[in-house]
Amino acid sequence: MVTVAGIYAYAPAIAVLPFVSFLVALLVGRWLPRKGALSGILATLGSLGLSVAMVGHLVLTGEGYDETMYTFVETAETFDLTFGLLIDPLSAAMLVIVSFIAVLVHVFSLGYMNDEDEPGLPRYYAGLGLFTASMLAFVLSSNLLMAFFFFELVGLCSYLLIGHWFREEGPPSGAKKAFLVTRFGDYFFLVGVVGVLATFKTAGFAGENGFPAVAERVLSPEASAEVAVDTFGFAPETWFAVLGLLVLGGVLGKSAQFPFHTWLPDAMEGPTPVSALIHAATMVAAGVFLVARMYGFYALLPTVLAIIAFTGGFTALFAATMAVVKNEIKQVLAYSTISQYGYMMLALGAGGYVAAFFHLTTHAMFKALLFLGAGSVIIAMHHEEDMWLMGGLKDEMRVTYLTFLAGSLALAGIFPFAGFWSKDEVLFEALAHGLESPLLLGGYLMGLAAVFVTAVYTVRMVLLTFHGDPRSDLAADPEAVRWNVKLPLSALGVLAVVAGFLNPVPIQTLTGVHVEFLHDFLDNAASEELLTSAHHYGDLTKEFAGYSTGTVAGGETATVLISAGLSLGLAVAGAVVALRLYGGADPARHTEKLGGLRTLLMHNYYQDEYQVWLAEGLTLGVARAADAFDRGVVDGAVDKVSSVSLLSGYGLRRLQTGIVTNYAALISLSVLALLVAFAAMGGWF
Amino acid sequence: MSDHWLLLSPAGAFVVAAMALFVIDAADPEGTNGTLLSAVASAGGLVAAVASGGLLLSGAATPGVELFDGQLVVDGMSLIFTFIFGSVTALVSLASLDYVRGLPHKAKYYLLVLLAATGMSLMASANSLAVVFVALELSSLPSYALVSYLKTNRGSVEAGLKYFLVGALSSSILVYGISLVYAATGSLLFADVAAGVGRAAADYPGVLGIGVLMIVGGFAFKTAAAPFHFWAPDAYEGSPAPVSAFLSSASKAAGFVVAFRVFTVAFPIGEIAGETYAVDWVLAFTVLAVVTMTVGNFAAATQENVKRMLAYSSVGHAGYALIGLAALTGVGSGATALGASMLHLLVYGFMNTGAFLFVALAEHWELGRTFEDYNGLAREAPLACVAMTVFMFSLAGLPVGGGFLSKYFLVVGAVGAGVWWLGAVLAINSALSLFYYSRVVRAMWIEEPDDSRDIESYPSALYAAVIGAAVVTVLLLPGLAVFDVAAFDAAAALV
Repeated sequence: MVTVAGIYAYAPAIAVLPFVSFLVALLVGRWLPRKGALSGILATLGSLGLSVAMVGHLVLTGEGYDETMYTFVETAETFDLTFGLLIDPLSAAMLVIVSFIAVLVHVFSLGYMNDEDEPGLPRYYAGLGLFTASMLAFVLSSNLLMAFFFFELVGLCSYLLIGHWFREEGPPSGAKKAFLVTRFGDYFFLVGVVGVLATFKTAGFAGENGFPAVAERVLSPEASAEVAVDTFGFAPETWFAVLGLLVLGGVLGKSAQFPFHTWLPDAMEGPTPVSALIHAATMVAAGVFLVARMYGFYALLPTVLAIIAFTGGFTALFAATMAVVKNEIKQVLAYSTISQYGYMMLALGAGGYVAAFFHLTTHAMFKALLFLGAGSVIIAMHHEEDMWLMGGLKDEMRVTYLTFLAGSLALAGIFPFAGFWSKDEVLFEALAHGLESPLLLGGYLMGLAAVFVTAVYTVRMVLLTFHGDPRSDLAADPEAVRWNVKLPLSALGVLAVVAGFLNPVPIQTLTGVHVEFLHDFLDNAASEELLTSAHHYGDLTKEFAGYSTGTVAGGETATVLISAGLSLGLAVAGAVVALRLYGGADPARHTEKLGGLRTLLMHNYYQDEYQVWLAEGLTLGVARAADAFDRGVVDGAVDKVSSVSLLSGYGLRRLQTGIVTNYAALISLSVLALLVAFAAMGGWF
Repeated sequence: MSDHWLLLSPAGAFVVAAMALFVIDAADPEGTNGTLLSAVASAGGLVAAVASGGLLLSGAATPGVELFDGQLVVDGMSLIFTFIFGSVTALVSLASLDYVRGLPHKAKYYLLVLLAATGMSLMASANSLAVVFVALELSSLPSYALVSYLKTNRGSVEAGLKYFLVGALSSSILVYGISLVYAATGSLLFADVAAGVGRAAADYPGVLGIGVLMIVGGFAFKTAAAPFHFWAPDAYEGSPAPVSAFLSSASKAAGFVVAFRVFTVAFPIGEIAGETYAVDWVLAFTVLAVVTMTVGNFAAATQENVKRMLAYSSVGHAGYALIGLAALTGVGSGATALGASMLHLLVYGFMNTGAFLFVALAEHWELGRTFEDYNGLAREAPLACVAMTVFMFSLAGLPVGGGFLSKYFLVVGAVGAGVWWLGAVLAINSALSLFYYSRVVRAMWIEEPDDSRDIESYPSALYAAVIGAAVVTVLLLPGLAVFDVAAFDAAAALV
């Protein structure tokens, strides 16, 4: 490992650089010409460069890195608590995604924040820096506890950034909601971390000594007594499933999966570049990444996998339906994010580790693109977000329109845009495994249905925003955007078209050309050594969860084709429906016709209502009762005690007369009383 | 033999310093050089503290070593308490430099402090009832004189007289009790008393019982436990504040150490209140503990005068420390509670001394005596007020100082001994104590000063003593770990 240490010695800098930019923006940002933007761009560029170098090094040498950097609690008997770095294909690829998006978001912020003379710029760039640093450190984490720390920091930063415009009414409320809802999930996560540490005496992710490997040895049929772990009286399967579900609580919160998805639409109150960062690469991605990071553990637990898959599929469909009726462009995108992360969860639950990460990658590209595009539109519209006041922007905003269109087609899953390939692979995995494990089939069907809905709302969004006649003065005369907006859009636009060719499985199946680049990368020798390789996970799901690949219509090729055809067909059908409904110069509000259903959808299935009730009706009620108890009974008792005490204190004070003969008399009498009492008790006389 | 002299070196340090003061006083009767006197006395205390601390941590006195045919014993407990006496003596002597600067007979003042400290260190090592009585008188007689040191101050003289009269009564009760125990068991040495106590309980339960209860009374006087506490508020209020600090911390601890040893060694509860029942002194101490805690805290809550409040709070703390004896119920080992009592007295030695020295500082500035007179003091003397805040909160048992931990151990010990309700009484009383302790803090930090006061000088020695005590109090929160093993071992060696 000595030779390898060369490049990996610089790995901490990936997270440290943005942290430095955080400090710079925080401490001296107000005196800098761009208020911290330039240092942020430089720092994230540095991180990106180093991340790419890590990927290159992994590809060339096939040697990963898993070392403890710092032990902050050392114990003799139990286990140490440490910080460490884990660089394997998964984390290296994620580093590239995160730092890449972070660079673009920083550049875009020049246009969105600086050019618009927004207040609090140093605070904003400090937040971005810390956000990026936390996420990168989270990705680099070599153990679950460290991951938890940075997971929480990510949550904190999102709170700070969503609430950036804290003088307005909406942003602080949205920030609080994001914080509280994700914190609710993180509570389970924390318990899970403690449980993992208590059970396995380690929280390491990778290698023979990582907790997934230990769990595997415990559960494997030829388990020997020596790998016994403390499962607190449960069967190991049950206990591990409990741990997996506890950690999953944090994942569902961060990745905005049902029923914790409610924070994400409200988080739209933050600046749009922040939304892009949250949705594409950091906050929301953290949850899914965590499942992928400890996939060796989840792959052992069929029940948890089924729950993940079902939740994912359900969330994909559920969120997509809500996106159909939304009128604000960012709201549509918010629900689409929830829905797309649902696909990733579906893939993970269905054993499609590569598919999930593939979709994470493409989604990061096209969702960042869509948000930045929306940001560009919002700049042009002077911060008006209602799509019904837009229309006809495609001629005025050529670059934005074309890139946004590319991103939308990717989102809708239209061939050959990025989203098509990854979504298709997700659905293929769900189908192939679902044929043999019927539990997954439900998730698959919901995911499939969501394809149609996704196409409908995506195309509706594009049509309402860019096509038809301008429906307001603002839309007729949009403000021009500059290079710092167009550059990130163009970069992402290209990627939204081509990113799918990272792993186009159908092409490989049809032509036999080996083009599974991402799969090969995730199966790299380095991951082999660290036990985090894709095919190791495949073996685990096969052995422990009983996943096997089924086929329809006689053969794998046919299955691939049918799956791809089905999803493409549904996507096209959805697009056509939306085109017919909203295609004209002056589209009608067709969702009005949905009647009661629309009300239900506009109210997001009353999810917010019941959660608000949980918070205000139930929790507040309980809190009030506790408060009343505290004031009435506890404080009341204390007050009574003190008033009684004071009263008796004054009585006692009167005993202290200051006359020494009284004291002598009292002492003698007390001794006498004591003597008489004990004499009676002891029967002395 | 040389070892033995080494083991007595803490007491020796007091004696040597006292002799040195005799010499200085003889050479220079007017005693003009206050700094030298204070330095000698402080050095004596410091050497005693360091020597006993060193002996304690080196383990030279485990198991206990008997000297002079068993008249004295040096063990973990005696060293812990000698450490307390030495520390308090050093703090008080240092602070007195400023307090008695302009007063006559300074040499005698320091001399009396050191002689009292010598008596206390002998109390800690006393292993026979005769030595107990002599040592107790050696510590008491200088104390009476110290209380009335301000000869022209009526309050001081009155306080000294009251203290002396109540002390004389208590001493007579004690010595009568000793004589009855001697009559019943035929010995004064603790070991022989313990050997004879079983037969005595069977043959003369009344004589032995009365004797034991009277000894309880004698020690209750020294520890200022109810109902022998009447002298304490008057004496503490009237005497010079450093003397109050000395009496309420060191003298009280001395009463406790001798009580711990006499009752655990000489009157094993199994012999005296087991199958042959003479007197259940654990029950007696339980009653005393509850009454003392409650009386002290309740009375403290109604005081207007800070020094008097501290005096009553000191009574309350005696009640807490009595739990160490009240928890020797035979359920569990009882060593936890007893060790916790020692730790509490150790922490108390610093936080209570510091609090009284703060009052000395206030008297030096002639601020006045009531809570209101302290209003807004934090503006002029922030550092001293921080120290006082630490003392107050630590006395109340908040986790800013060692007082939190020692109270915690007391509760744990009480629960472990099956007398959880004693722990509950302690908790309730501590909650009440927070009320009057926080009055001081509120006055200093929150209230507006009534009129402009002028603090001209900041007496450096007094300040150093106050700050030093505060630093040790805070350090004892993590640092109690240094002593807790020793204290629990010492307690386990007794029970």
